[in-house]
Amino acid sequence: MAFTSRTRLVNPRLGTYFGIFTAAFAALVLMAMMLEQLGAADGMVRLAMFAGPVGLYIAIGLGARAHESLDYFACGRRVPAFFNGLVLAITALGGAGFLALTGSLFIVGFDAFCLSIGWYAGLVFMGVLFAPFVRKFGAFTLPAFLGRRFESRTVRIVAAAALSVPILLLLAAEARFAAYAAAWMLGQSETMMAVLVVVCATVIVFAGGMRSLTWSSVAKAIAALLALAVPATVVALMISNLPLPQMTHGNIVRLVTRMEVVRGVPIILAPSSAFDLPGIAMEPLVKRFIQSFGSVGSLSFIVMSFVMAAGIAASPTLLARSGTPPGVYEARKSLGWAVLVTGLVLLTLPAVAVYLRYLVIDQVVGQPGDSVPVWFQLLQQAGIARVTSKAQLLTLGGISFERDAVLFSLPIAAGLPQVLVHLALAGALAAALAALAASLTAIAAILAEDIVHGLPSGTTPEAARITTARIALLGAAFVTVWLAIAAPADPLQLFLWAVTLSAGVSFPVLLLAIWWKRANAMGALAGMITGFAVTALLMLLGETGAITWPSALAGAIGLPVALAAGVAVSLATPVPGRQVLDIVRELRVPGGETLYDREMRLLRLKNRAPG
Amino acid sequence: MIERNERKPYWRHTKVQMLTSLLPFVLAMIVLPLYADTLNSKRILGIPLGYFLACHGLIIIAFVTIAAFVNRQDAIDHWHGAHEDF
Repeated sequence: MAFTSRTRLVNPRLGTYFGIFTAAFAALVLMAMMLEQLGAADGMVRLAMFAGPVGLYIAIGLGARAHESLDYFACGRRVPAFFNGLVLAITALGGAGFLALTGSLFIVGFDAFCLSIGWYAGLVFMGVLFAPFVRKFGAFTLPAFLGRRFESRTVRIVAAAALSVPILLLLAAEARFAAYAAAWMLGQSETMMAVLVVVCATVIVFAGGMRSLTWSSVAKAIAALLALAVPATVVALMISNLPLPQMTHGNIVRLVTRMEVVRGVPIILAPSSAFDLPGIAMEPLVKRFIQSFGSVGSLSFIVMSFVMAAGIAASPTLLARSGTPPGVYEARKSLGWAVLVTGLVLLTLPAVAVYLRYLVIDQVVGQPGDSVPVWFQLLQQAGIARVTSKAQLLTLGGISFERDAVLFSLPIAAGLPQVLVHLALAGALAAALAALAASLTAIAAILAEDIVHGLPSGTTPEAARITTARIALLGAAFVTVWLAIAAPADPLQLFLWAVTLSAGVSFPVLLLAIWWKRANAMGALAGMITGFAVTALLMLLGETGAITWPSALAGAIGLPVALAAGVAVSLATPVPGRQVLDIVRELRVPGGETLYDREMRLLRLKNRAPG
Repeated sequence: MIERNERKPYWRHTKVQMLTSLLPFVLAMIVLPLYADTLNSKRILGIPLGYFLACHGLIIIAFVTIAAFVNRQDAIDHWHGAHEDF
């Protein structure tokens, strides 16, 4: 395709469109702020902050319709690197990053960095190890890629089944996070909000699949980044006089440490295999912020950051996006942008945690129980903070906080207008919706393409493929609602299970498929089945308490075992055939036509030819 | 399009690039958090050094790693004629 120029593929007005969205979003927030100052009813402001942005996402999603399978499943391979990176970053972070990570950083301090390190390291691994090669192949789903690489329908079906499990767990987690944020915004029950957010996510991606998902997620990413940056920057100005929370919170860390020493907060040393991140219940602030390995041991910290990195790198939800950039080079570059955006977010979240911790230590700790500042009383009334000790003067250890509420407690604590509290919530909702919609699209594509149509998919007419994917999307949405309501576990735990399973199942088989030519179908099957069995078994044993190894770290054992099984079985069975080797050789070279597109083109030509 | 006899050197070059990108980063991922506590007595820009390295430092290292990788791998593609012909 020597005559297809890069500029022809990419829409040159994308910047203008999203400039318009940014202006509309900012106008909405400012309008809500004015209405609030003019004394409008609280309910109306809340509704505007919820329905306004969500309405914009839905409008973008419905506007980006798709009639061709290339548009529906791969956004027409027209997404420039920057926009793709933005979507990757916000999908990877999701509600778990915005709500749960901020709260964990606030409650256990340094120890929660094991998650944030894993997040951006995962994107680095993905960019170096997988994304360019999966893009060169260009399959619409990960199981389709594996099935073609190993020339085996069984591999495709097994991969579809095994990779659906982490996606389902992720769906449940993100639906819960989105429902949590929506429930705080609208003041309704979480169960009702779970239905509402899943319906919203489904409507957003229904018309155009990956195309709707991509462009609405760019909007969600802009909204989430603004919503995170604005309150944090305002508080940074108030506390440290510099509008750079990412840098200036470091000085506050020192201040916080000094005050913690004065107030006698103990140094806690955890055993090296301890893994105790804050759960969904109210958690006391027992540990010094900056001290490392007080609730997550040193071994668990390192292992968790690698499990997280492997799980994010091979996440089937994120790799479903790898077919969308116009070329291999753009695919690599998009991961660079994703690391940059994720890094900026993961520098701002600790700032939010540190500022809130500073306000709590400075203004609440050491006060008599009945003369706490107004904002702390507000947090107590809202059920976000609670004083658990009966001592005369408040201590840090006697205060408990709700983990997921920390992100929007900071605007309350700093005395900012109510709209900024809703803005922080709207940002978390946007991130959770982006991850929810991405997982819905990924699992619907797997159901439709790999399970229903299977190989060879070129013989199915375009319209039928898209219709099947839409029906699969509705089915996945029903399952998600049920999971979100029925799953009793902590959403962060669900997220970590999804990550650990994808590290144990998806990472080893992808590594073998791309980096080891000798790997064959039997090896891939053995790797996936062993990885799934070992990881799932360890998770169950860890949850029931039969072993002391935490369930979130099960992937650390599943991954090497699966890799060993894949290598051993591959070596014991015959060398893959010439056709497979040809695919691997082509896969590794960026130049030339996208393999999947070429196959589709040849299939179409064959069907058209008479006889 | 890549020449047939260029495929082997291209892939060897790519593998070496993958390792030189990932190994230092993996090492930093292990070392920086482990020694954070001991480094916290020193400080840089007013931020405790151990905290700075584990929070800001690793993110900077990650971004430099991926940016250098994209740049180098593109150069390798062009050197062996394996780049995309747009």
